[in-house]
Amino acid sequence: LLVVSLNPVKGFDHAWLLDYKTNAFVFQERRRGRGQHGGNRSGRGHKGERQRGTRPRLGFEGGQTPFYLAIPKYGFNEGHSRRPQYQPLSLKRLQYLIDLGRVDPTQPIDLTQLVNARGVTIQPLKRDYGVQLVDEGSDIFAAKINIEVQRASEGAIAAVERNGGVITTSFYDPISIEILIRPVPFFMRGQPIPKRMLPGEDMVPYYTSAENRGYLADPDKIQQARLALAQKYGYVLPDISRDELYHMLAMRKDVRQVFFGLSPGWVVNMAERKILKPTDEKLLKYYTS
Amino acid sequence: MALTSQLRAALVHIHAGSSAAGLRSASSSSPQQQNPALIESTEEFVFVERLIAPSRIPDPPKHAGPAPSGWTPPAETPPPLPYMIRRSRMHNIPVYTDLTHGNRKMTLVRKVEGDIWALEKDVKQFLQELTGKDMPTQVNEVTMTLKIKGHFDQELKSWLSSKGF
Repeated sequence: LLVVSLNPVKGFDHAWLLDYKTNAFVFQERRRGRGQHGGNRSGRGHKGERQRGTRPRLGFEGGQTPFYLAIPKYGFNEGHSRRPQYQPLSLKRLQYLIDLGRVDPTQPIDLTQLVNARGVTIQPLKRDYGVQLVDEGSDIFAAKINIEVQRASEGAIAAVERNGGVITTSFYDPISIEILIRPVPFFMRGQPIPKRMLPGEDMVPYYTSAENRGYLADPDKIQQARLALAQKYGYVLPDISRDELYHMLAMRKDVRQVFFGLSPGWVVNMAERKILKPTDEKLLKYYTS
Repeated sequence: MALTSQLRAALVHIHAGSSAAGLRSASSSSPQQQNPALIESTEEFVFVERLIAPSRIPDPPKHAGPAPSGWTPPAETPPPLPYMIRRSRMHNIPVYTDLTHGNRKMTLVRKVEGDIWALEKDVKQFLQELTGKDMPTQVNEVTMTLKIKGHFDQELKSWLSSKGF
């Protein structure tokens, strides 16, 4: 074992790795007392169930109703596998990703962009329905972005809009999420891009309300909600229509669209770098419905 | 998946049509108007390229001083000290905390180059001023790392970034 160091060989004041010698005392075995005269209690205590090894099962409380039976059952985790989960993304982490150049603020920020930047990890098989924006770090957030998430807290919406950005919450069904996270393996399959499904009955109120900036909400109501939020949180709402990046900030996906710029029904040929579009009437009618 | 089978049937039809068209034009005189079942285009491939993940970690853009998230870029020239602490792959300062056995707190400084004992001396002096106590440290000359007892990652990170590492 050769140790490289700047110290000279002679005249050093600290021990080297090669200097340690083994000692007989280091390797002495520690055994419990065994036998008639040197045996003693062998670490088992004095009489009783402890020494005799006849203690009752774990959880037994001497006859009193044990804790795990006295407390009544309650369905805390009932239906846990049917509950949608959203991976949290704090504004602090989003700002960190933008500062390191992993996420491009001059393009619309999508779930695909976040996963490509390794900002979040989504597991669709664990009932993940996307990402939720959390307002930790809303005081240091300073980036003008067009972001699309699946859920957002009110503070996060306020922080994004205060800096002149646009935030939208939209719904993706599990198949669309799987495609959105890993687009390249999906394109290699050769299947046409499916159309995004609409949210279920219980999620429709969330995505049609303007307070949550839902993608199914009325644009006029969203503008009113923006003004109301600015009043509530005490900031001046910047006018985006005068912005040079207004075209990028106003980009939004269609209700049935999964990717920006690509319609459902198209097949992507990665090898020849082409896109195949169907022309059959029935197919077009289905995909545009 | 009736749709994909329809599309596949259309593809087969196109290929059959293109190969038989030559024969047909030679045999019959009336040209048959065949609408193509698929349109190929390369214009929208730009959007597909945007979806492909980059394979290398991008270089961070130039910031004048600390960024809003608290990240500071390393100095242009390394500081004139006998040791050097490189940045990690993700351009961060390599100071990490460790917790073993539920209660053993340690701070680890990795990626040290040069005179590690000078760094240990400086770190001990810094922590002496910070806490007033002499913190036990361990130097590993093979892996060129420095372990300190206790959690001091935030203090050490700000101290090292102020030095210019």
